[in-house]
Amino acid sequence: MTLCPCGSKLELSECCAPILAGTPAPTAEALMRSRYTAFVLRQLDHVERTHAPEVRDDFNRAEAERLAEECVWKSLEIRRAVETDDTAEVEFAIKFRREQQDMIQTELASFRRENGEWLYVSGELNPVMPTRHVAKVGRNDPCPCGSGKKAKKCCGTTQLLD
Amino acid sequence: MTHRFLCTACGKCCYGQIPLTVQDAWVHAKRFPLAMVWSPVREGSKDFNSVARFGTVVAMPKAKNLAVLIVPTAYLPPTFACPELTADNLCAIQLQKPARCRTMPFYPYREEQFQAELLAPRPGWLCDISAAAPIVFADKQIVERDDFEFELQALQEQHAIILRYAEYMFKYTPQLRESLAKVAAKPKAGQVVTSLSSFLTAIRHPDTKSIAAQQLPLLQHYADQTAGQSDLHDFHRNYLQWVKEMRFLVDRV
Repeated sequence: MTLCPCGSKLELSECCAPILAGTPAPTAEALMRSRYTAFVLRQLDHVERTHAPEVRDDFNRAEAERLAEECVWKSLEIRRAVETDDTAEVEFAIKFRREQQDMIQTELASFRRENGEWLYVSGELNPVMPTRHVAKVGRNDPCPCGSGKKAKKCCGTTQLLD
Repeated sequence: MTHRFLCTACGKCCYGQIPLTVQDAWVHAKRFPLAMVWSPVREGSKDFNSVARFGTVVAMPKAKNLAVLIVPTAYLPPTFACPELTADNLCAIQLQKPARCRTMPFYPYREEQFQAELLAPRPGWLCDISAAAPIVFADKQIVERDDFEFELQALQEQHAIILRYAEYMFKYTPQLRESLAKVAAKPKAGQVVTSLSSFLTAIRHPDTKSIAAQQLPLLQHYADQTAGQSDLHDFHRNYLQWVKEMRFLVDRV
């Protein structure tokens, strides 16, 4: 009975272990989780195997092996996962400790499904998220709900919009 | 204006890092612990153009562009003698020595017209620049040009490989950009060091395994030599890390 390192709160044997063993990941998020677990368990064949062909030879396996060994992997947090047909984006944050320092790395990773298998295509480290635009609605402005009434007579005196 | 120079074989320039051509790095992989050394130069510096010619140019938002030399290097602490320097201060591999050592004191990474200033001996060096020494530089040109031209040509020929490596590193290690900017902002020239494993991966070197096998004992040796010395901590940590990487490459089936 071992909890999966990916943080799913599932048993390892019910979560990432089968994917590490070669079962296709059902979703891009599941693949991402299994790739993290592969670093924790130092089973980097899985990481290498699940790179898209065009980036597979770019993988510096020797460095990855060293990092897998040197880092204490603390947690994986999936912040967002969006799948559209055979492509997907997963945004995540990894916490780890290295050389007596707590580190956090965020990444926006792209995936592609090929012959039923999800593959890691690319990652943008520490991505800059689009800023949220906040508009202030005055009391006498038309209500943003579209009712045609003044805001103060409708949804509220002031309201923040995304 | 003419300049005179004679090497007196004092051995003083045989200490510390040796910049190598890519070809020399592989030829001498059994001798030197290898690393990739990145040296940024800000736009406006007189070396900017020549560095840009052999290295890469990095655009910096809200700051001057950087030209960066990326050089395979015999990665030795400044106080460490070249492993081929003999007890009587001579070169043990005189006939096979790297292009960099042959061309000394000239330096083709810098434009030819500026080479004269490289003839001034650095503190402690015993180069002869007296009237008894032969003329080596005249009318903004090097007199005896063969070694200079040879190294220059090697730098030109390897430029595509260096650019490919730069592109690879900026793609997969974007924080490198910040490290270079930080180093370039310092008044004294600085450098950023990256691993041989990244270079081998980026250029798909076909002999990675045999190069790793040559590097492994060397890196272990220098890791031991630099242990417990606080001023050599960075060297020590790098050697230890690269030992792990080279061991993986050697053991890889």
